[in-house]
Parts: sequence; structure tokens; C-alpha cells
Amino acid sequence: MTSEGLRSQTILVVGGGIGGMTTAVEAAEAGYDVILLEKSATLGGRVAQLSRYFPKLCHPTCGLEINFQRIKKNRRIKVMTMTSVAGVEGTRGDYSVTVTTTPRHVKANCTACGDCGRAAESMVPSPFNYGMDTVKAAYLPHEMAFPQFYVVDPSVVGTPEGEKIAAACKIGAVDLAAKPETFQLTVGAIVWATGWQPYDPAKITTYGHGRVPNVITNVEMERLAAHDGPTHGKILRPSDGKEPKKVALIQCAGSRDNNHLAYCSRICCLASMKHAAYLREQYADAEVDIYYIDIRAHDKLEAFYRKIKADPQVNWIKSKPSRIEVAEDGGPMVCGENTLTREIYAKSYDLVVLATGMQSSVKAGAPAAEMDDYGFVVPHDGSAGIGSAGVASGPLDVSMTVQSATAAALRAIQAVSGVRNASEVS
Amino acid sequence: MNAAPTPTRKYDLSFARYVYQNIDGGDRMAKCMQCGTCSGSCPLGDQMDYGPRKLFMMIRAGMKEAVLTSNTIWNCVSCYNCVVRCPRKVPVTYILHDLATLAVKEGYEQAKTAINARFAKAFWWSAARWGRTDERLVTAIYYFSFGLSQGMKMSLANLKIAQAMVKTKRMHLGMPHKIKNGGDLKAILAKAAEIQARDH
Repeated sequence: MTSEGLRSQTILVVGGGIGGMTTAVEAAEAGYDVILLEKSATLGGRVAQLSRYFPKLCHPTCGLEINFQRIKKNRRIKVMTMTSVAGVEGTRGDYSVTVTTTPRHVKANCTACGDCGRAAESMVPSPFNYGMDTVKAAYLPHEMAFPQFYVVDPSVVGTPEGEKIAAACKIGAVDLAAKPETFQLTVGAIVWATGWQPYDPAKITTYGHGRVPNVITNVEMERLAAHDGPTHGKILRPSDGKEPKKVALIQCAGSRDNNHLAYCSRICCLASMKHAAYLREQYADAEVDIYYIDIRAHDKLEAFYRKIKADPQVNWIKSKPSRIEVAEDGGPMVCGENTLTREIYAKSYDLVVLATGMQSSVKAGAPAAEMDDYGFVVPHDGSAGIGSAGVASGPLDVSMTVQSATAAALRAIQAVSGVRNASEVS
Repeated sequence: MNAAPTPTRKYDLSFARYVYQNIDGGDRMAKCMQCGTCSGSCPLGDQMDYGPRKLFMMIRAGMKEAVLTSNTIWNCVSCYNCVVRCPRKVPVTYILHDLATLAVKEGYEQAKTAINARFAKAFWWSAARWGRTDERLVTAIYYFSFGLSQGMKMSLANLKIAQAMVKTKRMHLGMPHKIKNGGDLKAILAKAAEIQARDH
């Protein structure tokens, strides 16, 4: 194996979602040192926030559990949470990466006993539940949090409540004095696995999210359906907690639209079918209408589409709704043209779910990330030191993300080892 | 503008290509993905023979006659809801207006008899002649375009409104108001006609 005089063979993976974790585990299990950076307090990313995966409707806890175990057991992986990249300098084999940390205010000897949480009084919006409910100012991000450490919200630092929280910890793990830190890492290759964020529904003004009651997004729906979500897994509409019996699922809310995201986000069709399955599972009398431009259930996912299509209480309406208004009963009313019957409709619902698309988490101008026209990071081959994995490289579902991440791990190994193909191995 | 070809065969794209190349906004129309946002957004959608989405499909299907005789091209009120919402940035309003112009040029009966065509003609006459719209003349020309007896009937039916408008000084009696330097306007219009003849 040649190393071409490369200074570092360490691989830096930016982002600890399913893509980043997979890249890290695959590279580490092949014998390379990996630093896994995560901006938030725990690994798992968007996948941890899902209720279930499509198409098999199994729970993400399963896939995450395996990866957490692999990370825990592998000494080559160094995990840094609440850390993000501020700057990158250098070339393949010798990058100097500046990273900054935000204080967790809880040290690594935390046993997650929960004493600090019981001592906390004030409530803060829960980022894990997209702000749909609140958590105590000292909280475990979620049940499956890895690393299993509490977080103290910065809002209580310097208050009597903060002191009370610190005093409640029997082992002195609460550290209110912690400050943001900046330091350098030397690595040989960088993999951006920064994933995605839901497209801001407020930008789709005609769909009234935030203005019309009971218009929610697909990621909020995931939390409503999740057992550890704000409604403990029972899907209830936000305005009055009523069981939704007439539900509209609206595809391409922001995707395939030159005014918003010009590309197809690829997962929303299946995600909405999964939402139809959630609803029909919980409410035998629920009627679900799916508004779509085209159904894009590619490859093996066609079977799931057929399964949902066989349900007579799920209706398919070929139409991109033009607007959502407030009906006389105060609920959402979906208006548009059914393009198959050419009928102009205005239908009232208990709940409307917008299938908002995936937007790259990498902001324009991010350090050393070469982006395509849509803001995703170009996944270069092994001759380049910087690549991307999973949704950072373009919209993908979980299984495709894992494939993409495995490929990214291989390219990163090629980058730090200088070996491009088997014939080069002597 | 050359005359628009009339498709004769099945799968004849000649009219669609003509629209893509000659109609204002037609090049963007080629990108229409038939989602129906335009028809769903249209405040007059239920009073059109076909919504814009279907009209665009008919253009692709070579249905020149049906397209240029539909009331869709005359009923657009230029609210621009569809243009703002179209995910493919198709300027629906421009296309409908230019299709109406094409229908006039090609001498379709509907282009003479559609109520919006009649009104547009009366409006244009007043605007070009005086530089302003004179409510009395525009409505009179519009009403009497339906014939003498129908014109009288329509005028009488609206007499009360006219009287009230005069009373509240929303309409005046006497000579039509006109702009200063009407000659300049005529020169501008003549130049515009010249540019149109040259470029189309």
C-alpha cells in the first residue's frame, strides 16, 4: 500500500446521521482512523426522528442500535458531538480543519440518571419534535440518545435555576462554566455527510403552513406517529387534539417547483404512502386523499405503492393543489384542479400534511464543499480528498443513503491510502 | 407572423411547434408538466371551456381549431395567479393573450363575437383615439357591436347606473377627455405597429 507521503490517513466525517455513521463505521472497520463530527447533541440525525422506515415499516431504533454498537466497539472512531466545521485548509492527505464546539454543559461522566432534569423547572421547545412540544431545560435529547448524556439548555446558564440543576447532579457532571471551543484537526480526507433539512413550508405561502390551522409537514407527521413524539404515537390534529378522519397528503410541496426546489426530493411519495399506512392503521374509518403530480415509487418500492393503492379508503388525486384556504369550519380546505377529471375542487379536511422536500444542510459558501446547482455537495472520486455521502450528495432514502455512504467510505480510503484500484496494490 | 399551420395527421406537432416558436411565452410552455396548478388557481376556471392546463395539452395534441375557438383565451383576466404559482415558470397569461391575438389574425369567428373580444376592440378604439378610455363611448361601442336592437336593450338596462354615475361625477357629459399631445401617442402606436410587423 502506498501512502504517497500523505501526512494523515485519518478520515473526517462531517455529520452523524445514518450516512455519516455508516461512512465512519465502514472506514473504521476497514482499518482507518475516523473522526465523526456531529453538530447536535446526539448521533442518528433525521433517521432518529422518524417513526418508521418505508417500505417495511420497521422502526429506526433497530438500524441505529446496530450502528451505535459498532461505533462503541470500534476504537478507531472518535465521536465529537455538538461540534461543527468552521474552516478547512490544505490538500488531500494533509487537511487542517478548524472545528468549533458548543457547550453541552454536561461532562462525559454523565450517567443519564435524570436528577438534573427533575431539578429543572423552565421548559424549552423540543428540537427533536420540531418544536411541537417542550422539554425541561435539562434534558436527554431523546430516548435513544447516543452518547447517552443530558444537555443543559444555555437559557438557564447563569440563573438560580442553573445552579439548582448543577447542585442536583450527585457526581458533579453539570458544568455551567463550559465555553465554546475552537481547535484544529489534521486529517487526510473529508466526507461531508451533512444530510438535509425539511424545506421551510412558510415559503410555500399558498399552502398556508402556520396560517391555516392543521396544516403540518411530513416531518411533523413522523413525530406525531412516533411513540416518543408529542402525542405519544397517537396521530391527533394539533389545533384541538381531535382524531383526524379526513386527511389530505400533498406531494411536491416545494419540490419539482422552480419557485422552490427545482428537483424531485425522491422520498416524499413513499413517505406519504407510509403516512397513509399510519393513519389507516390507527383509524379504521379514516379517509386519506393523496394529491400528486406523478407517483415516483421507483424500483423495489413499487410493491409498497401497490399495497397502499389496494386500500379503498386511500384516494389518489392527480393534481398539484393550487392553494389551501380556511374552510367555514375553521379547518384546512384544499383547492385545485383534478387533472384527470378536469374538475375544480375545494375539499375540507381535518388534517393536511405537506410532503415538504429535502434541502441540503450545507449553506452556500461552506468551507471546502464543492456544490452542484441545487446546493448538494459533489461526491468526488477517490482522487479528491473531499467527497460527500448520503443526502449531502443529493436526495436519497435511508437504504440508498447507506449504499452511498459505503461508497463514500471506499473513496475516502482511496484518498488517504493513495490506492485507486486493485492493480496498484503490490 | 406566418400563418399557424393546421395539423392534418395524427401526432402532428406542427401547431405545437408553431406555438413554441411564435407565441409570447410559448418556449416556456414546452416545459409544462400538466400539474394543474394554473387551472386550479384561475378565478374564472369554471367559466372556461378548458383550463390553461388542458388547453396546453390540446396545443400539443394539434387541436388548433378547438384551441383558437375556445373561450379560454378570451376569459383570462390577467390576475397572474397561475404565473406566480406555476412550478415551471410558464407565463400562462402572456400565452393566452397571444393566442387570442393569433385567433384574431387567423380570422376566427369567435375572435369577433366573444364578448371580451368585442370589449377589447371598443377599449382599444378609445385608448388609441383619445389616449384615454371614455366610459360612455367604450360601453356604447361594446353594446352596439351586438346590433342596434340589442344595443338599445343593453343601454336601457344600464341607464340607471349611468345616471347614478353622472350624478356622483363618476362619468361626465360633453366631449371625451383626451390626453395632451395626442400626436405623440399616434407616433408611438405607429412605431409599435411597425416593430410588430417587422419582428413577427
